[in-house]
Amino acid sequence: MRRNLLGWADLIALLVLAAGFFVPMLTHSVLVYSILNQVFTGVIAAESVWIMLRMNLLSFATPTFMAIGGYTVAIAGEYNVTDAFLMTAASFILPALVAIPLGALVLRLRGTYFVLVTFVLSQIMQLVLFETPSLTGGSNGIAGVPPVTLFGTEMGTNRQVLEFACGLAMLATLITGLLTRWFRQHFAAIEENEILAESLGLVVWRYKAMGFVVAAGISGLAGYSLVNMLLTAHPSSFDSGTAVDFIAYTIIGGRVSILGPVLGTGALVYATNLFGTHGQYAQGLYGVLILVVVLVARGGIVGTVAALWRRRTS
Amino acid sequence: MRHLLLAVAAIMLPATAFAQSCELKIGAMGPMSGGGAQWGLSMKSAAELAAAEVNQQGGVKIDGKTCKVAVVSYDSKYTPDGAAAGANALAGQDIHLIIGPVGSVENAAVKPVAARNGELAWNAAYATNAQEPKYPLMFQVSPPPAIWADLVIKRAMKTFPMKSVAIVVPNDQTGTDVASVDGAAYKANGVAATSEFYQRGTTNFAPIITRVLATHPDAVDTASSAPGDAGVIVKQLRLAGFTGPIGRVGGPGTAEILRVSGGMDVLKDFYWYEAVPTDDPKVQAIDDEYRKLLGHDPVGGTTFWSYLPGARMTMKALQTAGTNDADKVAAVLRTMPVEDPNIGKGYWTGKKYFGIQQTLFFPFGIGIIKDGKNLGVERQEAQPE
Amino acid sequence: MAEFSQAAIIGVSLGAQYALLALGFTLIFGILGVVNFAHGGFYMLGGYVAYSCVAYAGLPYPLAVLVAVIATGALGWIFELYLLERMVDDHLATLMLTLGLYLVMSTGLLTIFGPLSMEFAFPVKGAMHLGPIYVPRENLIVLAICLTTIAALWLVLYRTDLGRGLRALADDRAIAMAQGLRPKLLFPLAFAIATALAGLTGALVTPILSLSPGVGDPVLATSFLTVILGGLGSLEGAALAAFVVGVVEAFSSVYFGGSIGALVLFVLVLLLLVFRPTGLLGRTVRGA
Repeated sequence: MRRNLLGWADLIALLVLAAGFFVPMLTHSVLVYSILNQVFTGVIAAESVWIMLRMNLLSFATPTFMAIGGYTVAIAGEYNVTDAFLMTAASFILPALVAIPLGALVLRLRGTYFVLVTFVLSQIMQLVLFETPSLTGGSNGIAGVPPVTLFGTEMGTNRQVLEFACGLAMLATLITGLLTRWFRQHFAAIEENEILAESLGLVVWRYKAMGFVVAAGISGLAGYSLVNMLLTAHPSSFDSGTAVDFIAYTIIGGRVSILGPVLGTGALVYATNLFGTHGQYAQGLYGVLILVVVLVARGGIVGTVAALWRRRTS
Repeated sequence: MRHLLLAVAAIMLPATAFAQSCELKIGAMGPMSGGGAQWGLSMKSAAELAAAEVNQQGGVKIDGKTCKVAVVSYDSKYTPDGAAAGANALAGQDIHLIIGPVGSVENAAVKPVAARNGELAWNAAYATNAQEPKYPLMFQVSPPPAIWADLVIKRAMKTFPMKSVAIVVPNDQTGTDVASVDGAAYKANGVAATSEFYQRGTTNFAPIITRVLATHPDAVDTASSAPGDAGVIVKQLRLAGFTGPIGRVGGPGTAEILRVSGGMDVLKDFYWYEAVPTDDPKVQAIDDEYRKLLGHDPVGGTTFWSYLPGARMTMKALQTAGTNDADKVAAVLRTMPVEDPNIGKGYWTGKKYFGIQQTLFFPFGIGIIKDGKNLGVERQEAQPE
Repeated sequence: MAEFSQAAIIGVSLGAQYALLALGFTLIFGILGVVNFAHGGFYMLGGYVAYSCVAYAGLPYPLAVLVAVIATGALGWIFELYLLERMVDDHLATLMLTLGLYLVMSTGLLTIFGPLSMEFAFPVKGAMHLGPIYVPRENLIVLAICLTTIAALWLVLYRTDLGRGLRALADDRAIAMAQGLRPKLLFPLAFAIATALAGLTGALVTPILSLSPGVGDPVLATSFLTVILGGLGSLEGAALAAFVVGVVEAFSSVYFGGSIGALVLFVLVLLLLVFRPTGLLGRTVRGA
């Protein structure tokens, strides 16, 4: 059977994201721009979580690789290297390269050991950032990162920042879609029963390593998007706690399809901004929302919508 | 068709737009959950009291209409992402005056966003670049350690002669910044200073204390560590048998340190900086006024008191400007005399240190506890630059 | 030399504190397969309940600790029975539920008690000094309670029918249920025991350290670290690892400082896992 390069879910996800390009024609509200920027960054990060979930691995390593991608861009900015294509490539490739030896270490672990060890990785990254002030600015981070340039033009306005984030999110979605579509059966076999897959001759480690490395690259793009949005690379942006957010985006959205991380991010980022203006109650409201969605919507937003759809059509 | 559109538009508009009085929203921002919640909630209390005072007088006149002032608070979680999102979320509600953010981390992210959105903001950051001339809408509630560290150390040395000090701070931005400023100030006074960084989230400081005491310092300074952390550090230092003076040339929070550490007998010899002269009954009366106007207790103590003058002056500037346009309010603020009914007379400062004169400098306090007896918080008048 | 002995003493007292936390965490994971993100919340809640009993109800401290244990256990029971139980087989859903609970708990405590640290002191004060070395008395009490708890938990799990039932559910839920074990009763019970342990730790340790709405956050990271090092679901492993983590943390902090010390600890754990992918005393586990 000839595989399609992309599935319908990937295409819908791309279309949903592409709508971001048209938003500036409808509104100039800074709030809308701000939320969309956060959504695009979040979608990229959540997609890296989602790739690992395809192989039944829950990863807390997203902020670790986001930091590598983000700091790559910030440090390059100090040398006035801001070219969009170059930095997109660098923020993908560097984390991916780092992921190769790290993957060799951590992919030996399965299940919750993997969860916890990736959590430790993100803690280590925080300390590495603190202990390397000459390179990363230490606890101060790197402020005043110059905006990205596309074909020599600076992309500094609100609208351009949004468009660039939108483009990055689409690129990440495209890569994620291609990867998970191409290795669909392999990933599914690993997710279903890794030991069985291995005994049937699937070289499991090869696909896991592939997934881990690409997920790391995608996280790097998220780091790029974040740094370009804030114009600052700061250690606290890549705190291990943020990994929990990205996991929540993916699970609340639904792990069954790539639409999950896209819709989940949209919903939770919107909720965060909405609840944020309730000051000290913000976290509690967010917590209640998570409890309710998990209890009411099995399979996340996408899973629930799909179930409703099936019930209507059957 | 046109009538229909107009009718729809009329329904969509908020009803207050048609009422005689209007509502003007200001923002309060800072961490309102987690370890730094106290600071963000202090910002909120400050904004609430300043707004309540104005409302009691009948509100502010904005563009010819008399408006009540309402406070919208945003939990920026002590992260740059949270703070940037907050500045945008508040701008989305047409809020241009923000009491906050608190930390250097938040402030660094708010600066460019607020400049883009035309928002005036009041930070309480200690970073060496907390204020920058290229961000003229940023104001600061109180001066950074570089302005007062030397005075506090000089006063402390009168009561507690010392030759060496160990500065214990968390390994985050505020920690490293304050440690370097304090360290330089100690050295300028002939005291050898070493810095010891602990991992954020540390709850038990016994190992760090063992390490610090191995160098036999005369004094230990908890600088800008969170009050809860500092309380544990004090408690464990005394438990380890340390008898020298303990300082806090950093943030306020001595009342909390006292509670956590177990009392005066434990603190024993202690010197600290207070952002306002806390022993002054007029300063303490702020809490009574808050209770009277808002019906519940404020959060914060010293932090709340020291954030309040900025919030009050903003309200005054807003009234004079007659608009909530951040540029116009800022212009009024810069020319306003620095004065607060509870705290006293102050000055604008920051030109020498930051290159921009938008930092409030009010009378502050230096507290001394000697042999377990509180000698009180001595009032220090602010000096013009 | 004095520092060396002091570091060892501190390491053991840190270990006792970590062991109490890690035991509950690993119990929940071993039996229910749930990674409990709310563990730090129960630690905090234990502290605040004990504090309230002492400060508002005037109870003596030991009784306050008991009330805290019962309250956190009861809340754990209710949470498991009414919320977690519905999705106990979906590990991602349970992770989200415990996360949601944690956020709600910490907001609740912040709203009720405010952001400032409480005045909550351990009734036993002072330290025993042996030359340059000191041992705080309060740490000895925590250590004694910790060792008693480990022993009691071991007895319950390995010497009673209840324990056999819990272990059978941990080993293979389907077979255990086929043999007539009732997870509807045993799961909430296991969760309640674990949250009560977190509550006990909170009630014991927060008066020694500090009590404010932020103190639950580091609990999760420590429990994580301890439990993977020990081997998930292994009681003995968690207890052993807790003392290893405590001692390594103490020595690395004393000799390398807080920041590099933490780095040393993390890297050691990472390396150990590479060579022993199931922790010190662990076995292979199900997927995420």
